[in-house]
Amino acid sequence: MDEKTRDDLLQLFRSKFNRAMRFYLESCTRCGTCTDACHVYASTGQTKYIAAYRHELIRRLYKRYFKARGHLWPSLGEARELTDATIEELYEAAYSCTGCRRCMVYCPFGIDTQMLMSIAKLLLIGKGAEPEILTLLADTSIEKGKSMELFKEGFLTGIKRLEAEVVKQWQTEAGEAAIPVDVEGADLLYVALAGAHSIIPAAAVFNAAGEKWTLSFFEAVNFGAFVGDPSKTKLILDRIVNEAKRLKVKEVCVCECGTAYRVMKYLSGSQPFKVTSITEAHARYLKEGRIRLDKTKFPGPITYHDPCQIARNAGVIDEARYIIGHLTDDFREMTTDARYNWCCGGGGGLVALGDETLDFRMKSSRVKVDQVKATGATILSTACENCHTQLSNLNDHYKMEVDVQFLSSMVARALVPA
Amino acid sequence: MADAITVTKVFDLKGLACPMPVVKVSKGIKEVQVGEVIEAHTTDPGALTDFPAWANTSGNKIVKTDQDGDVIKFYIERVV
Amino acid sequence: MQTVYYIILVPMVYLAFGVFIVGIIARIAKIWREPPNPTPLLIHPVKKPGWLWTLTDTFLFPTVRRHKPVLWVFLMAFHICLLLLLIGHLELLADFALFQVIPHEIFLGNGFVGLILAICLLYFLFRRFVSPVKDLSVPEDYYLLILLFLVVIFGSEMDWARSWYEYGEMTVEDYRSYLLSLLVFKPELPYSTTFSGHSFMLILHVFFANLFLMFFPFSQLMHAILSLPMNKLRRG
Ligand code: HEM
Ligand code: SF4
Ligand code: SF4
Repeated sequence: MDEKTRDDLLQLFRSKFNRAMRFYLESCTRCGTCTDACHVYASTGQTKYIAAYRHELIRRLYKRYFKARGHLWPSLGEARELTDATIEELYEAAYSCTGCRRCMVYCPFGIDTQMLMSIAKLLLIGKGAEPEILTLLADTSIEKGKSMELFKEGFLTGIKRLEAEVVKQWQTEAGEAAIPVDVEGADLLYVALAGAHSIIPAAAVFNAAGEKWTLSFFEAVNFGAFVGDPSKTKLILDRIVNEAKRLKVKEVCVCECGTAYRVMKYLSGSQPFKVTSITEAHARYLKEGRIRLDKTKFPGPITYHDPCQIARNAGVIDEARYIIGHLTDDFREMTTDARYNWCCGGGGGLVALGDETLDFRMKSSRVKVDQVKATGATILSTACENCHTQLSNLNDHYKMEVDVQFLSSMVARALVPA
Repeated sequence: MADAITVTKVFDLKGLACPMPVVKVSKGIKEVQVGEVIEAHTTDPGALTDFPAWANTSGNKIVKTDQDGDVIKFYIERVV
Repeated sequence: MQTVYYIILVPMVYLAFGVFIVGIIARIAKIWREPPNPTPLLIHPVKKPGWLWTLTDTFLFPTVRRHKPVLWVFLMAFHICLLLLLIGHLELLADFALFQVIPHEIFLGNGFVGLILAICLLYFLFRRFVSPVKDLSVPEDYYLLILLFLVVIFGSEMDWARSWYEYGEMTVEDYRSYLLSLLVFKPELPYSTTFSGHSFMLILHVFFANLFLMFFPFSQLMHAILSLPMNKLRRG
């Protein structure tokens, strides 16, 4: 690596500094309490997957370049030079970490591994060594935001076909658009994923609840966050924020996508609208009696996988239980304490990388499979696209023989007509 | 037909949800030479916006879009 | 030899405390000048009141208790003894009525505080020779533990000699006059501190303690100070 590249990368490193980051960089005692926290370590037993080992890689660079010790006595903290070999190690550490923050629960100081890994991800981008497909997907999202007019027609054509589906299944009253788009003054802007399964059931529930809603032009998922590029994350987010402001909605409701929800909730800043997840919206409709559910629709025990970015990292926990209470009398918890739920093993962009990471994803998530099996449930519900894909893959690979379901789809299917 | 398109490779992406169609196509396009055309079949309605946006960013060109029932067919020329 | 003793017991102590205090302030100032993180870093569900849980996490290490119970016993013993040790040292300066609510001899703990600390330190050290903690540790971690062990062992020896074997050549009064003279910047070494049979213990104790203090602000020991704000971020 030449001098110039290294300087540029160190500049990127520095750009990640803030108070919390400095805390985390200064104070790991390497006590090993976090050892068993990571599902990858728990499933594979390889030291390099221990949370502290992962972020010590970052800390070694920090000690070398950002502390006087790195010049005076580098071996004291095993400070490391930034080289091509280091970059490879960073890749291994960052793209085997799903950013679930389970290790943060274990650490006596609460060191945030996901946040430290974001330095690794940014360095990888700087070196052009990140998974290029994630950058491509992020750029595609940004492009959509920039030239919306070009793509509007295709979008509307797609929606028309879905509307027919909604009407067929749920007999929405005639005269009303089953999937309203671009409605100024609507109460709620629903940000979906670009897939029928994310739009159709949601539309059915919004319509049943009499919500004044409108569908966003944009998909919720934020590939900028997966690849760890702060400026792209922001651009992708801003598309939706601007749309919400333009339509003057009171609420932005994010579909079942963990990263999208967390980014939207915490990075959108203070805005005239509130941010909710679709799980929260559904729980609210139930509480207010705006929808009713048929408990006989799903026989058999149901368990629920808390998506890390929605539950442990953004606090939507009880709402899901409340909904499931209306779907079954036989709910099985995976853990007694939601903070300890195992990650599905698909976050941090791993699922989006598809077949490339499949083998790793299966090996690293054995503990999740054991956890699901221990519940004895036949339906495994969850509220995140990533988790759903990963859990479905696990279901096939480990022959778990459960039915993997989106919670929102279950709500839609169990709707009792008014 | 005067504007018949010679397709070099066909990708069946039916049933895949976003972002897989885009992922597969962006890998797939590398399997043909510049100037050649691939055909992608998808059922994902999001593809109607995703593909054009992807083509714009990646610098490739969508020559034609066909709808056949539930299936959407894209003809994409490799430009870069 | 007496010159070396003098350097260790007087100028080096000043230097060590100077580095310790200025070092910590400078490091903290540097960290606090950074902007706060743009997003909350909470772990959910958040229990109320957040500040109370922050304090619990900081001083009782509940997560260690849950996941590494043996380590937790040693950690609690260690950190409690560290606190007692601090009180013990303050009482070498003067009498504090506050600390004497439970009447005790000076030095606090009758030699057992040091013994427990030494055992804890050996435990911390040896667990770092076993995987996976071994694979996580860096030389700094071992050096710190060894250094602290040396501080503790020589400090304790003086205490053990007095408390358990009625050694009477170096007394609490001697320590007090030495330490007070340092405090008022009129350093004076009582004859016994440098010419008695156990003087070497005092010299080594102070020497290693000086090194420890000077290393503190630049090492992972900053966790002692940063633990509170870090746990606050997690607990809210
Ligand atoms: C005056 C304050 C403190 C001092 C001087 C101190 C000192 C030490 C020392 C010397 C160690 C052994 C280091 C090692 O094993 O390498 C240690 C370990 C540790 N301390 Fe503290 N500490 C202080 C406060 C705290 C606080 C407030 C916490 C709160 C969470 C804490 C948590 C820990 C933990 C988790 C370890 C790990 C032990 C290990 O395995 O090494 N300490 N501390
Ligand atoms: S539990 Fe925290 S302090 Fe201990 S090794 Fe892990 S990250 Fe470091
Ligand atoms: S954030 Fe999750 S995946 Fe990453 S190290 Fe921690 S426990 Fe492992």
